[in-house]
Amino acid sequence: MNCVDWEERIALYAGGDLSPAEAQGVERHLAECAGCQLLLSGLRESLVLVREVHGEPIEAAHFAAVRARVLAELERAPARGWRFAWGLAMAAAAMVVLMAIWPRQELKTVTHVPAPVVRAGGADPPVGGGTLGPPARTSRTVRPRRKAGPGGPERTGGSAPPEPMVVKLLTNDPDVVIYWITGTKGE
Amino acid sequence: MAQTMDGPDARARAGDLAAFEAVMRQYERLVLVTALRLLGNIEDAKDVSQEVFLRLYRNLGKVEAEANYQAWLYRVTVNLCNDVGRKRRPSVAVEDVPELVSGDADPQQSLTGAERQRVLRMSLRALSEKERAALVLRDLEGLSTREVASALGSSEATVRSQICKARVKMRDFVERYFRRRV
Repeated sequence: MNCVDWEERIALYAGGDLSPAEAQGVERHLAECAGCQLLLSGLRESLVLVREVHGEPIEAAHFAAVRARVLAELERAPARGWRFAWGLAMAAAAMVVLMAIWPRQELKTVTHVPAPVVRAGGADPPVGGGTLGPPARTSRTVRPRRKAGPGGPERTGGSAPPEPMVVKLLTNDPDVVIYWITGTKGE
Repeated sequence: MAQTMDGPDARARAGDLAAFEAVMRQYERLVLVTALRLLGNIEDAKDVSQEVFLRLYRNLGKVEAEANYQAWLYRVTVNLCNDVGRKRRPSVAVEDVPELVSGDADPQQSLTGAERQRVLRMSLRALSEKERAALVLRDLEGLSTREVASALGSSEATVRSQICKARVKMRDFVERYFRRRV
């Protein structure tokens, strides 16, 4: 076995990685080989130098900085989760509102029929009343009778007792007649 | 080496950040020092340490099942350092290391402390990823060959071979750089 073959064993021997039996074999070779003794001393010295330079302590501030960054990241993570959940809730609420509004929008399209005439069953429609949707929204599309007949109910119905009201919308198309029944007059 | 956590890790798994901070304090030296030795740069080492602990937090249950936090931490630290090292810089071949030009009989002694440190830190870059990891864990962290093999997911024979090559390369690097036989 020449010295090249001993190199691996000597490198392991330098770090104490050989079994006692293997170590004894290396020591016997070293006792009679100056070149391998030089190799061993070089290996040991380079290990000492590397350990020395890498053995310097790290400032406590670096450890604290890592801890702070990790904890900050972990604290932010739940906050991001809540923001996501809040966003989902808002989207769901928006969907509910849209679904509630959607039928009214369809009815509103009906009110665009030109020149409807309003006839309230037994009572004049209040001003702004006689509409398909909320009175204020669709009052433009309704043409109520402006003048109440003698003995008729007051227009606003503000002081009249609540009574059911039926609104009939006539359109130019004789096949299209729209009825709207409200619980109480003016609602 | 076979340390397992009891107490703080269970509370940390339940979301107790104070308990997880205690876990970090227990292992921060292991992670940050190993990362610094592998990367040679404290800022990169801190970035890696942060990621290691974030992964530990997300995998607390899984790591406990391994019953060996240290091996898991060493493995993740080494892998993340390898990722950073590949993005950052190529390794340095021993043959490419410039010799120190000095007329002194002992150039090593003429170096300033900072320069000497820089050179010796750079010496680890002359090693391959696996050799560097094996040398750092065995010769600097002081793990046994079996523990290094467990941390790196290799066989003991492979680790011995890597350690051997790493030591010889380190010796060649130091000898070449200081242009003297150490």
